[in-house]
Amino acid sequence: MKPEVDRMLEVSAIALLTRLGPGLPSAYEKSTAGALGALLLALREEFERGAARRFEENAAIRAIFERALPVVADPALREPLRDACIAGTTNLAISALEAENARLRGLLIELHASLESQSGPDAASLVEVIWRELARSTERRKLAMAMF
Amino acid sequence: MLAVSRIESRLAAYIAGRLDDAEEVRVESLERIFGGASRETYRFVLSWREGGAERQRGLILRRDPPGSLIETERAIEFAAYQAFHGTTVPVPEPLWLEEDPSYLDHPFFIMQEIPGFESSPQAITQPPYVKHAARLARRKWSILGEIATADPKALGLTSVMQSVAPQHVWSRELDHWEKVIDDDELCPQPIARAAIRWLRAHPPAPPQRLSVVHADYRTGNFLYDAEGEIHAILDWEMAHLGDPLEDLAWSINPVWRWGGDERCGGLVPRDEAIRIWEGASGLRADPDALRWWEVFSSVKGQAIWVSSAREFTDGKNQDLILVLSAWLVGNAQDRAMLDALGRLES
Repeated sequence: MKPEVDRMLEVSAIALLTRLGPGLPSAYEKSTAGALGALLLALREEFERGAARRFEENAAIRAIFERALPVVADPALREPLRDACIAGTTNLAISALEAENARLRGLLIELHASLESQSGPDAASLVEVIWRELARSTERRKLAMAMF
Repeated sequence: MLAVSRIESRLAAYIAGRLDDAEEVRVESLERIFGGASRETYRFVLSWREGGAERQRGLILRRDPPGSLIETERAIEFAAYQAFHGTTVPVPEPLWLEEDPSYLDHPFFIMQEIPGFESSPQAITQPPYVKHAARLARRKWSILGEIATADPKALGLTSVMQSVAPQHVWSRELDHWEKVIDDDELCPQPIARAAIRWLRAHPPAPPQRLSVVHADYRTGNFLYDAEGEIHAILDWEMAHLGDPLEDLAWSINPVWRWGGDERCGGLVPRDEAIRIWEGASGLRADPDALRWWEVFSSVKGQAIWVSSAREFTDGKNQDLILVLSAWLVGNAQDRAMLDALGRLES
C-alpha cells in the first residue's frame, strides 16, 4: 500500500498534535488529542516491527527449549517443550504470531521456574540464557518515547 | 459519561443540601482534568449567596469511574486528606465524601482546589521549573520523610487503614499485586513472574516502623511552583500502613525518569534522593531492603499496567490514559524490574 502506513500514521499524529488538538475547546479534550497523537506515533513504530519482533522472539524461545530438553528434570515439562520445538506457525499475521508468542512465553515461565529449582551447572547456565532472552525481549518492545 | 451540564446541576443540588446558610448554590465551569485514571477528576467553581454576600470557591470533584486503573478505596483516600490537612504535609482540604451512588451515579468526594500550580511530570524538567530541580527534590523527598515518620494512630488512620503485623507487611503487598496480575493479565508476564519468585525467595527485614505509605508518591502527583515549592501532595487512593521504604522505592523507580536521564522523577540522581529522605525521616534506607522494595515497586507497577490493559480491552473504561500507560510504561516497567534484579543488559 502506498503511501506507506508508517508515513500515514506520522502525518495523522502531527496533524492531531499541532493543528487539530490545540483548537479543541477544553483542556481535557486537548490532552486527549495529545495522548491520541502520542499513541499514533507508538503505533507507527510498532506497525513496522510488529511481525518481525514476534517471529524473532518465537524462534529465540524455541531455541532455548531445544537446549533445555536434555537438561529439564521434570518429565511433565518435557512433552510440552518438545511439542513447542516443532516448527512454529507459518501464518505471519500478527494475531497468529502473538498467539504463538503467548503460548511460548507461558511455557518459558514454567521452564524458568523449573530450572531455578534444579541444581547443576547446565540448569544454572540455561537460567542465565533465559534472563538474557528476557532482557532482549524488552529491547524488541522498547518504544522511542519510553522513559526507560 | 454523564454530560457536564447534568453533573453541574446534580452537584449543585448535592452541595446545597450540605451548606446550611447558603442560597442560590450554583456549580459552574465544570471541566474534566486529564489523567487520574483511578477516578474521574473535575475542577469547578462553586458560587452561592450567604448573609447577603456573593461567595465563590474553586473545588475538585473526584468521582469513581465505571472501571479504573486500580481498585481503590475512596474512603481511605478521603481519610488520608483529612489526616494530613493542616500538617506539614501539604494536602487540599477535603470537604464531602459521598458513597451513595444515587447523587452522581457513582461514589465521589469533593475537596479544595489549589489553583495556579503545575503538576505535569514533563514540565518539571523544563524552564522555568528545571532551575529549581534541587530545591524541588529537597521538598519532594523531605515531605516523603515527614509522611514516613507521621504517627498513623495520632492521625486517626489506624481506624480506617487495615492493620498488619510488621513481619507480614511485604507478603501482604506482594500477595495483593500478584493476584492483580493473576486476575487481569492478557498475556504471560515472564519477567514479573521471575521477579515475584525472587521476591518470595529473598524477603526483606521487617520495617523500621509501621508508617503511612502514600503508595503513589512520584513526580506527577504533587503541585509545584516555579520557585521550587511543593503545595499539595495528591492521589492518596492506594494509601495504606506499611514499610516507608515502599514509598521511597516507588518514588525512585526508573519509569518516572521524566527527563529521559538518570534523574529520579526528573529531579536528582538516586543517591541524592535517598540521602534527602534519610535526613528528613531519620530512618535508614538499608540497601538490601530498599532493593527488595524496588523490585516490588516494578511488580506493582506492572500489575497496574496489566490491569489498565484489561480495563481497556474489556471495554469497562476506554480512557486513552489506560492504553498509554499499558503501552508506553509497561515495557519500561519490565526493564526497571530487570534493572533492579541486575539483569538488564547494557
